[in-house]
Amino acid sequence: MLAASVGLSASTSGCLQHVRSIVNRNEVEQLSLTITTLSADGDRESIQLAQDIGATLETAGIDIEIDMQSREAFRRTVLINHDFDIYVGRHPGDIRPDFLYETLHSKFADESGWQNPFGFTNLTFDTYLDRQQRAGGEEREQAVSRTLEALALEQPFVPICVPHEFRLVRTDRFDGWKQGHLATRMGYLGLDPPTTEEAVLRAAHTDSRPSQNLNPLAVEFRNRGLVTGLLYDSLAVPRWSGDGTDAGGGDEETDGVEEDGDRTYSPWLGTDWTWNENENETEAENEEGDERTGNGSGIDTDTDTDTDIELNPDTQLEPTGTLTVTLREDCQFHDGHELTADDVAFTIDFLSDTTRDDSEFPAPSPRYRGHVDPIADVTKQGEYELEFTCTASEPVAKRVLEIPILPAHIWTERTETASIPAITVADGTTEALITENLPPVGSGPFQFENRTQREFVTLERYDEHFTRRESVALPEPSAETLRIRIDPRSTSAIELVESDEADVTSLALESYVVDDVLAAESEREQTSDSDPIEVIESSTGSFYHLGFNARTAPFSNPRFRRVIARLIDKEQLVSDVFYGHARPIAAPVTREWTPDSLAWTGTDPETPFLGTDGELDVEAARAAFEEAGFRYDDEGRLRVRY
Amino acid sequence: MLTQLLLQVVVAVSILLSVGLAGVVGRDRLSLLREEWKSRLRTSAPAIALLLAILLLNRIMRQQGRSLSQEYGVHMTEVFYTIEGEFVLHFQKIASPEANAYFSMSYVYGYVFLLIFPVIAYAARSKTIDFRRLLIAYSLNYAIGLVFYILFIAYGPRNVFVEELTQTMLYDNNPQVQYLTTEVNRNTNVFPSLHTSLSATVATFAYQTRSTYPRWFPIAVCLSISIMISTMYLGIHWGIDVLAGLALAGFCVSLSTYLVDRWSLTAIFEQVRERVHEYRDTVTTPSQENS
Repeated sequence: MLAASVGLSASTSGCLQHVRSIVNRNEVEQLSLTITTLSADGDRESIQLAQDIGATLETAGIDIEIDMQSREAFRRTVLINHDFDIYVGRHPGDIRPDFLYETLHSKFADESGWQNPFGFTNLTFDTYLDRQQRAGGEEREQAVSRTLEALALEQPFVPICVPHEFRLVRTDRFDGWKQGHLATRMGYLGLDPPTTEEAVLRAAHTDSRPSQNLNPLAVEFRNRGLVTGLLYDSLAVPRWSGDGTDAGGGDEETDGVEEDGDRTYSPWLGTDWTWNENENETEAENEEGDERTGNGSGIDTDTDTDTDIELNPDTQLEPTGTLTVTLREDCQFHDGHELTADDVAFTIDFLSDTTRDDSEFPAPSPRYRGHVDPIADVTKQGEYELEFTCTASEPVAKRVLEIPILPAHIWTERTETASIPAITVADGTTEALITENLPPVGSGPFQFENRTQREFVTLERYDEHFTRRESVALPEPSAETLRIRIDPRSTSAIELVESDEADVTSLALESYVVDDVLAAESEREQTSDSDPIEVIESSTGSFYHLGFNARTAPFSNPRFRRVIARLIDKEQLVSDVFYGHARPIAAPVTREWTPDSLAWTGTDPETPFLGTDGELDVEAARAAFEEAGFRYDDEGRLRVRY
Repeated sequence: MLTQLLLQVVVAVSILLSVGLAGVVGRDRLSLLREEWKSRLRTSAPAIALLLAILLLNRIMRQQGRSLSQEYGVHMTEVFYTIEGEFVLHFQKIASPEANAYFSMSYVYGYVFLLIFPVIAYAARSKTIDFRRLLIAYSLNYAIGLVFYILFIAYGPRNVFVEELTQTMLYDNNPQVQYLTTEVNRNTNVFPSLHTSLSATVATFAYQTRSTYPRWFPIAVCLSISIMISTMYLGIHWGIDVLAGLALAGFCVSLSTYLVDRWSLTAIFEQVRERVHEYRDTVTTPSQENS
């Protein structure tokens, strides 16, 4: 009896086991994904790229939906909430490749902002980034190439192209537009007014966000921080190197301030800085580090002599050197408070944790994170001198000179977790990150006057600014007032400049109007028209890309990402969407930093398009997916296990 | 630039109005309106107050409702695109500079004229019922439209057919127009098309009052059809938005007929007063007995 029941239960349990193992297998379904992007009113190129890419992916058997969002909502979804499958958009980029560190290092995967929005985590890749971060001299270039090659292999995001930037300016009221880059504060300083009466500089701005929020830390509202750059000073101003520009007219020489001999930064709020390299060799430090931490983890410390395969993520980074910065004296914030070394020290501390260690959850700033990350310690050496202990090589450590200096007496109050009645606020959402920061109080060459939402922002010249001093030979604000008029479309912004209602289109023109603008320019040249309108072309590090949410399958699979990358015909997209006014890229850096192995050769050197002239070779695409381990059903739909 | 454009609109619409009023309404009615406007205003006061309140609410909610909409709204762009596909692109077949000009004018000036004209024309009638119905119908259109705008987030075709609509896009051909339209609208307020529903409302009223204003009827119909086509031609609305606009118009017109004269505010006021009196009586009587 017992035996019988045991036998019965044994047999049924076997059967149940079988049933369960069938039922518990998740169904393999058609891959259906949403491309998050901006609406045409927000970024015309992004939506067109998303549509073109979406159409190609559909022919490859993927079900595509496109989710259009406004500028702020897009950034909130992608950069803060990480609530996306893949997205297409523009990355602010940089002129130097060091932004890749925060963009791709796994230690930033849980933070919000432009630091690792992909959730890309790869220890091997981290070591490349770490090496790039610490390598100096000739080694640096090599380390950057290694990172870029690894990036091309892994495709955590697919770099698409670097658009050429064109802006329209009027030269009859202000001239000297080519002295500084018009995407930075330097473009609006040092302009020569032909007459002293022309006190108002009028900019037509195609993005309404500066009229809503002027918080330099609010990643949803900032592109490259032009307006906040005018309101806040940094310690130094990065210099654009003449080579590797995308455009012809990249003339970025700033007023001959060469005394410090630094080719990468010119002085601003900081007058002088010196780098003191630590004496011990980089290699030796790594070994030390390995020894200290290696005993517990049991990783083969002995075989780790080859620095190429050093794979210990727990290595404590030894300081590489110190950066001593001297501040300009007697500078004040717009509210009259003195700007001292305390404010600088506060800003660095604040950017790495806006709660200032008050809360369990650190809340690092979503912007400038990579700039302050290599700063291990800040010591005040006097009212106007600071010493930064850094864990990165000299050029990387110097990025800290680019951060906006915040007034400590205002931002100390903003460390509390923001509270909105009846709404639970996510941990780590401090007041500092969500405040509109109106009126903004900085120390920059312009101060905030007033604004009307979606209409204009008016800035007044800050007469006490150090550039106005006789003894300082830096470009100064020549206009008494800077009136930024919000004008949502390139066509109307152009019209404003042509009809003498604006002096400059402060954001780059959308690609579809560029041909018309250039045609009008050449016409003016031919007819030797005296119209005082000029087209300014400038180089940029900003690029369009397709980002994967590597936190979820199948985007976590590098093989999948590589096949997707091969379905994107960058060359064709550049001519279709940008009318040729862009440079297709395999590496998301300026030309100067692109290694030869990743130089564009008419096709992508690493992930060439599977097809010709924008036409996808469907068979080849299928084969590529199948080779990557995915399957197709009878109706040609790509199937994946989520 | 905005003031300049507003001025243009005011001038253009004033000219249209004066011509229209002279030709359609006639001098007799207008002079009668001048004499009797006070008493007519008094009878129509509730309807006017309602419209003003709704317009004010509309203005506030367009700003405030934005975040509400972003939080809870349903994204519909993809759904609309799946349902109707490239329907609006059919209108591109008639694309030409002349058509651009005509439809842009209809969309901006024609629309304003179409909305204001019947208000004056019906106010000029001695019977105020159509006047009040029209105001109520306008109010309903705005109120219901507002709710839909908060519930549904959808981008117009110009955000989907970026390339195809470049030729006829309103904002690229008449960049200054966007100052006017962004004042009152934002790019995700497309379902339903209020341009359509209000135009259709006016056209339906014109049909119902064709015996009084026989000349207005054809004008209203032509103009409102032009406006409906212009919303799609200019890439602002989907076909679905226009259909929903028509449905909304039908609903608002019939509801306005049902609502108007259903309650007289003075009568309600009287009733309430009576009730209060009765109540006071019933309350006071027993207490008197007790004492």
